[in-house]
Amino acid sequence: MDSSTRERRIAEHKKRVNLIFKKCVWDDFLDRALEMSPEDMLEKVKESGLRGRGGAGFPTWLKWKFAREAEADEKYVICNADEGEPGTFKDRAILQEQAGKVLPGMLVCAKVIGAEKGFIYLRGEYAYLLPALSQEVENFNEKIREKGERFSIEIKLGSGAYVCGEETALIESLEGNRGEPRNKPPFPVSEGYLGKPTVVHNVETLVYASIIISEGPECFKSLGTSDSAGAKVFCISGDTDLDEGIYELEMGMTIKEFVELFSDGDIKAVQVGGASGHCVPRKKFADTIIGFEGVPTGGSMVLFNSSRSMYNVLHNYLEFFEEESCGQCTPCRIGCQQLLKGIEAVKSGEKPSEYLDDLVKLAGMMKISAKCGLGQSAANPFISIVEHFREEIMY
Amino acid sequence: MKAALKKEIDGIIKSYDGTHGSLLGILEEIQKRNPHNYLPEKTLAYTAKKTGIPPAKVYGVVTFYSFFSLIPQGKHCISICRGTACHTKGSRKLLDYLRSSFEFEGDTGGDAKLFITTKDRYLTVRTVACFGQCALAPVIEVDGKIYGSVTVEELKKILKKLKGSRQ
Repeated sequence: MDSSTRERRIAEHKKRVNLIFKKCVWDDFLDRALEMSPEDMLEKVKESGLRGRGGAGFPTWLKWKFAREAEADEKYVICNADEGEPGTFKDRAILQEQAGKVLPGMLVCAKVIGAEKGFIYLRGEYAYLLPALSQEVENFNEKIREKGERFSIEIKLGSGAYVCGEETALIESLEGNRGEPRNKPPFPVSEGYLGKPTVVHNVETLVYASIIISEGPECFKSLGTSDSAGAKVFCISGDTDLDEGIYELEMGMTIKEFVELFSDGDIKAVQVGGASGHCVPRKKFADTIIGFEGVPTGGSMVLFNSSRSMYNVLHNYLEFFEEESCGQCTPCRIGCQQLLKGIEAVKSGEKPSEYLDDLVKLAGMMKISAKCGLGQSAANPFISIVEHFREEIMY
Repeated sequence: MKAALKKEIDGIIKSYDGTHGSLLGILEEIQKRNPHNYLPEKTLAYTAKKTGIPPAKVYGVVTFYSFFSLIPQGKHCISICRGTACHTKGSRKLLDYLRSSFEFEGDTGGDAKLFITTKDRYLTVRTVACFGQCALAPVIEVDGKIYGSVTVEELKKILKKLKGSRQ
């Protein structure tokens, strides 16, 4: 596809899907939302088909329903802005440009579940967003206090630990502990922050929730596929020739369509969903759907052209996981180390190529036995890269 | 420990009085106020005693998060991103350049979660998993400011502009 056609197509996409970054007046939104009953709001979110935008895709309305039904004197809403997945930077952009839609999302969620306190857990590396965001939060708190609502938001800054993006680790960190994930169940919706029912949402989920409440579920539901309704913000990096990296696109595109749109065509693999995601090779581009029915993603799409060594990419991921593993459970702590050592040994010729099969078994074991999402998904890039780029690991 | 420092720590702990999960905030503030941006052992012991939190837990928290340092940091700090996009676009070259230009203490090689400081405490270099600026790869942060699409040439210019530069 030549570059003018690509430009035109991208412009068409932008025109068709424009929910998150649309400039709109939201002054009356709070009034309208506050007039609505919690049941109405829950119903709207249910109808929209919104699922968590952090990657795991749990139905949003169900989380709200569980937390709403949990009986407790205090409940909490947490906005997970600990965006640490390599290759993901949408939440930063959303918080910079559209914080005015994130905060109402927290309020709406709080109204539904019955919470009076919300936290934004902001990633330590994003400390530079703090001055503007604090101002925004202060104004918001003031505004809803004037409306007689008992809800306030507080920002907590993370201290640099990837695993804290996992919701129970995040809660541990909020409580002032090491960010080590908890056993699930109990899930945070029944026992979360300080042992109270807590809903933890990705930044993007909260924005979509407020858009759905404000403009009705139809604007969201009309996009996407039946399993993956709506749109999603994608972060494109790596070998793309475009300067911009953030696009809101409809769910359900194939990777082929995606690559044609956002690169000059010479792409041999796409890592979907960051370091913990899946690597899709060129031969699978046409029949891999971006969405919950194909490859789910928290938004990160890293493109690799033919000159890139997939061994290097995998090595980089494994070093990352070896460092970021919290060390609590054995499958992840030892598994990440062994996978890294293993590919080094195969590369150097110290071990035969069949050794990769043993390592794939180990990775499969991590997937089923690691305690949290980090350890389980650390195996994803390993399994997919070894499956599709075995020669690059060996030679 | 000097009485003034004790008083300062007391003040910080008091300002967090009664809030849940305050240990992280307290430690962050103490480290920020330290002239060498780190947490000395005696400070940690004192904080543990004052807050009633067991020293082992305080140490556990400090060693868990990459923000905290148990050794003095340099006057300037450069963080290099080693996220996937930055890695493929050559952030390693920037790290190599710094390693060959300065004499670092205790550098054991490798580049995951690196945290090294020059002998004269002029410069600390660390690596960060991802800055969330992947469209600008490779990205570095110098004393809190983000620079995108950095080449070795550009890095040289940035180093020259640092206060007390010796390049």
